[in-house]
Amino acid sequence: MNNLIKIQELTKNYHTKEGEINALFNINLDIEKGKIISLVGPSGCGKSTLLSLISGLDEDYSGCILKDKIKTAYMLQNDALLPWLTIYENATLGLKLQKNITKERLEYVDYLLKLYNLQEFKDNYPKSLSGGMKQRVALIRTLAINPDLLLLDEPFSALDQQTRLLISDDVYKILRKEGKSAILVTHNIEEAITFSDQVIVLSKRPATIKNIIDIKFKNNDSIFTRRRDNQYEEYFDLIWKDLDMNE
Amino acid sequence: MSNEQKQYLKKLKNTKIKILFWQILLIIIFIFLWELLVNIGVISSFIFSSPSRIFKTIIELINNNNFFIHIFITLKEVLIAFILGISLGFLIAIILYQFKLFARIIDPYLTMLNSLPKVALGPLIIIVCGANSKSIILMALLINLIVSIITIYNGFLTTPSYQLKLFKSLNASKLQILTHLVIPNSYQTIIASFKLCVAQTLVGVIMGEFLVSKQGIGYLIVYGKQVFNLNYVMTGIILLALISYLLYKLIVILEKKLLKHI
Repeated sequence: MNNLIKIQELTKNYHTKEGEINALFNINLDIEKGKIISLVGPSGCGKSTLLSLISGLDEDYSGCILKDKIKTAYMLQNDALLPWLTIYENATLGLKLQKNITKERLEYVDYLLKLYNLQEFKDNYPKSLSGGMKQRVALIRTLAINPDLLLLDEPFSALDQQTRLLISDDVYKILRKEGKSAILVTHNIEEAITFSDQVIVLSKRPATIKNIIDIKFKNNDSIFTRRRDNQYEEYFDLIWKDLDMNE
Repeated sequence: MSNEQKQYLKKLKNTKIKILFWQILLIIIFIFLWELLVNIGVISSFIFSSPSRIFKTIIELINNNNFFIHIFITLKEVLIAFILGISLGFLIAIILYQFKLFARIIDPYLTMLNSLPKVALGPLIIIVCGANSKSIILMALLINLIVSIITIYNGFLTTPSYQLKLFKSLNASKLQILTHLVIPNSYQTIIASFKLCVAQTLVGVIMGEFLVSKQGIGYLIVYGKQVFNLNYVMTGIILLALISYLLYKLIVILEKKLLKHI
């Protein structure tokens, strides 16, 4: 398997007026191409910090993050759609900012808009859309730039339970279909198991890797089929135990 | 359209008509009472003039070819100072946003300038620029500029951090962040600063005209005071009230056009 990213002895400290905060300590991690990985851990343990270090938004750390010239794209808890742009303009924002508006990319955006039944809202403004639809537009904006690695920072946690399942299933299916790699930060154990190939349990601050659990299901069609697998409960207990020991 | 919807729309329209009706009635009552109280001698016509006297004064000014010149001169000064104020304010706010350390350094001086009564600078301005409309425009500019800078800059600072994070994660340049995010995000604040700016500009222009002028509404008021003809003073005040309302309304129309979707 070829590695997309290799992280070695990664340590991150924050400095504030009140003092120093040790966010991450000695993280070693390989991220394989085409894999979906979930990061779980107690709140405030540094999951999001790890994500922004991987993305390159934060370049202040010690240790080593080896990556080829890969393109990453963020999906955040907030859809971050710009209210003064139409749905279509929002979906193509990344292409515009990266000056990469090609016929092929635009056709892909059109394909995704159709896939998620957003075609008819193309020229509407975000305020006329529901929370779930907005998060789908955010997904299209993320995929439009054709990233090698998606960084999903609790993208479903602001949605209600039903929408949350529907949208996470959408994201799961499209990632599988296109063979994209992704790292998902979540508080939700169920989401972590049904969504990913590997769950990484982090300890409380300073975060170290507590356990890495490979998730294998027979039927990987959707998050619902994975949820129904007999093994699901076993994984859940395993992760719960790892989290529980940190208390 | 259902009947309920029709009724609802009708009700909305009725409320609108009702509000307009009362607004017109209120001004008619005000004018009528003013005229009446002056005529029966409850208030002095010498000091407070009266609607009919103001009307006569306006006719007299029109006949002397002075009426529109006064309005034109004042409007011209207001417009020049307003446009200079918002464009300079906008530019300086961008500079402050791009160089945050500089913004922090000059912060106390901006605050100081903001609270300084700019009219105190009047004599200095007149000596430097001479007794002409340049002085008046500079006076108005000094009054409106600081307010414009501070409001627009504070608008820039309200850009949500998650949107900044999104733009950075898309590798947007500093210029792209400014033109595609920070400025559009501040449209509302920028329009609000227009409203503040237009009011401040009027204050500045009238103050300037009080100090130096041969024409303009401020001049009309000062002249009326000097010759003890308070009809001129009241006419000037009424004209100012109308002009400031119209300018404000123009900005509201602009606001509706620009902010349709937000």
